[in-house]
Amino acid sequence: MVDTRPFLPVSSHAGSDPTGPSENRRKPMKLQLSILFVLLTVGFFAALLTSNNGSDNGFVKENEHGSLASPSSEKQLRPVSRGPAVGVSEKSNRLFAKDNENQLAYPWNNSMLSWQRTAFHFQPEKNWMNDPNGPLFYKGWYHFFYQYNPHAAVWGDIVWGHAVSKDLIHWLHLPLAMVADQWYDKNGVWTGSATILPDGKVVMLYTGSTTENVQVQNLAYPADHSDPLLINWVKYSGNPVLVPPPGILDKDFRDPTTAWLTSEGKWRITIGSKINKTGIALVYDTKDFINYELLDGILHAVPGTGMWECVDFFPVSKTEENGLDTSVNGPSVKHVVKASLDDDRHDYYSIGTYHEKNGTWIPDEPKIDVGIGLRYDYGIYYAAKTFYDQNKNRRVLWGWIGESDSEAADMQKGWASVQSIPRTILFDKKTGTHLLQWPVEEIESLRLKSYEFNQVKVQAGSVVPLDVGPATQLDIIAEFEIDNEALEKTTGSNVTFSCSSSGGTVERGALGPLGLLVLADDSLSEQTPVYFYIAKGSDGKLKTFFCNDQSRSSVASDVNKQIYGNLVPVLEGEKLSLRVLVDHSIVESFAQGGRTVITSRVYPTKAIYGAAKLFLFNNATEASVSASLRIWQMNSAFIRPYPNDKESQ
Amino acid sequence: MTKIISLFILEAVFCFTFFTVSYSDINLIQTTCKKTPFYDLCVLTLKSDPRSSTADVSGLARIVADSVKAKAIATLNQISALLKSVKDPTLEKALEGCIVSYNTIIQADIPVAIDAIEKNNPKFAVQSAADAGNEAQACENSFAEKPSNSPIFSGNKAVHDLSVVLQSIASLLL
Repeated sequence: MVDTRPFLPVSSHAGSDPTGPSENRRKPMKLQLSILFVLLTVGFFAALLTSNNGSDNGFVKENEHGSLASPSSEKQLRPVSRGPAVGVSEKSNRLFAKDNENQLAYPWNNSMLSWQRTAFHFQPEKNWMNDPNGPLFYKGWYHFFYQYNPHAAVWGDIVWGHAVSKDLIHWLHLPLAMVADQWYDKNGVWTGSATILPDGKVVMLYTGSTTENVQVQNLAYPADHSDPLLINWVKYSGNPVLVPPPGILDKDFRDPTTAWLTSEGKWRITIGSKINKTGIALVYDTKDFINYELLDGILHAVPGTGMWECVDFFPVSKTEENGLDTSVNGPSVKHVVKASLDDDRHDYYSIGTYHEKNGTWIPDEPKIDVGIGLRYDYGIYYAAKTFYDQNKNRRVLWGWIGESDSEAADMQKGWASVQSIPRTILFDKKTGTHLLQWPVEEIESLRLKSYEFNQVKVQAGSVVPLDVGPATQLDIIAEFEIDNEALEKTTGSNVTFSCSSSGGTVERGALGPLGLLVLADDSLSEQTPVYFYIAKGSDGKLKTFFCNDQSRSSVASDVNKQIYGNLVPVLEGEKLSLRVLVDHSIVESFAQGGRTVITSRVYPTKAIYGAAKLFLFNNATEASVSASLRIWQMNSAFIRPYPNDKESQ
Repeated sequence: MTKIISLFILEAVFCFTFFTVSYSDINLIQTTCKKTPFYDLCVLTLKSDPRSSTADVSGLARIVADSVKAKAIATLNQISALLKSVKDPTLEKALEGCIVSYNTIIQADIPVAIDAIEKNNPKFAVQSAADAGNEAQACENSFAEKPSNSPIFSGNKAVHDLSVVLQSIASLLL
């Protein structure tokens, strides 16, 4: 707002003697007038500027819904729109048009909602969960902690839930490990990680949101190290042990990692943050987990990626098929930096080299640096965290799977979110650029009856039912061979393909889409395709895409209908291979041994209970495919509270 | 004379400061609203709340959240009134569904959004705001025979559009 009060000239006799020498009077008047002139000119220009800014012709048409969904980007570049992916369609304003004749706005009844609960994925008995916290193996038990709201099926009042298991599959719920009972975590007992010391003791570092909403790092440890269940925890009396350093905002300092040893025998951790829109990872050294020294440099930074949440940093072996303790380093080791990007709610990783002396890390391929390259998972998957499992010498990955239905449904069913099945992580020696993720082998203990199908021929444009009995709890391993002739004969083109911008499985190409239809009813009015799409470039080279199409997964209109997926490297001589875990409202799919993974949440109204079926499909126009599968019915993991009679240990 | 000059300069500095301060808070509203798809609605909503003159982006988000809640409560009251006299069973079913949606907006989406903004974890505000918009949309969609012309269309549109504005502003806090 411009101050347009005119500067009235002070009358020339405001001074003392009106009859004073005219010379003297004229000089101050000139000065006043010139000041007045300058100010008026400035005011005039400012008025011009503001009126331009305030005009109503500036902006976007009122009708536009605004781009609110983040398309899962196929390119090796940053995603374009940085809005949230969950639940919002990127189509034009749906208030003015009904998308689809068969959409139901409020189909949910208790039968449909109770079906959604998973049988063998970790989830608390009710209410909201988010990030995995402090996973570790200790005195014979796998421990899992998690962000939990004890009061509602939405985020809020966050505390640490706790559960234990002997095998990462059969979980027993324990009492809450930590609650918001100190000034330094009153507004949130947020994410943290465990470090196991050489003497076997455990320390936990976690982020607290203080009474002033400042993010700080706190130390906690088990009250009783001889308790294998680690039920009670003590917060260090001198907390917080870290506060935001100069140059870092109070709200950009969270999620400390597991510590690893430096060559000087100190412990080192990294904490994600940002400076303007550059995501960074800060590095601290400590000898006692109480006093820290911030390194001059940072571990790494990538411009434009925004806040790095839940940073993870760990070594992988280039040669061995086992995991490595977080402190391991050496010539046959690569290091992975992973960040959860606040801006688009996806987890990205990159493989590179760690330079121990100055605490920095350089990606092998800057084009697929952290936040702009590969994702752990191209579906709903966030805040992932690994730990070194010294029990079985493997690195295990946890990931939070949120809901993609409406919050109204979450409130009605009384819970929200599950965790993925824990996955082993290995360096993919064959590509050298990817990590391989695979469900932990203990999941095989849930396998019941198996069904085998050998070389089932699926012609172009056909669907083949697979009779496996109930189809809501399944472990599927499949291999597909596309007929060679079609692969060679098909003419290539320059058209670029991406799962998210494609028309899903109704969009037919010469060599795809083909794969499985899970959680489908007999009439296929509801279906969730998990599939491959091969595109041939004008240079004759084949590119394989791995997608999960939710557009017809349910007739309900208030669930996410996006198509997830990405490129999957398929090397010379490899068949297309697929593993799918179907567990009610969650589907986890792994292509080429876990090179590309997609997790999705599915909420059918009809393809539930006995009405859910499984099909093979081939909607390509030219290629026929031959599929071989082994499919198991999966038992429940009977996840429940720790039995009371055993608790007096 | 020097007195006059210094008085003048003092007055000029005072006016200038006043002008730059009030210029900059209107400017924040404008620059923020430009990053939403509903510029006019955003500016109108913010300007009509006295808190906006001293609010930062977080504060602006809070104002919009409060406005969504107010509009949602008004629409919920409308729905309840309609339910009292409804005869058509299809219409009744739609209205009952809308009650669920609006209760979600008022009891879950907006409180979570406000909490997340206050606690500096804006991604949950973004998600909740998106859900609020979806709830309003689901309500409108449930009037099968009269899409975009339900008896509570203007309430649904207002809540929807403001939720989108909230979502956009919360995204700026990421």
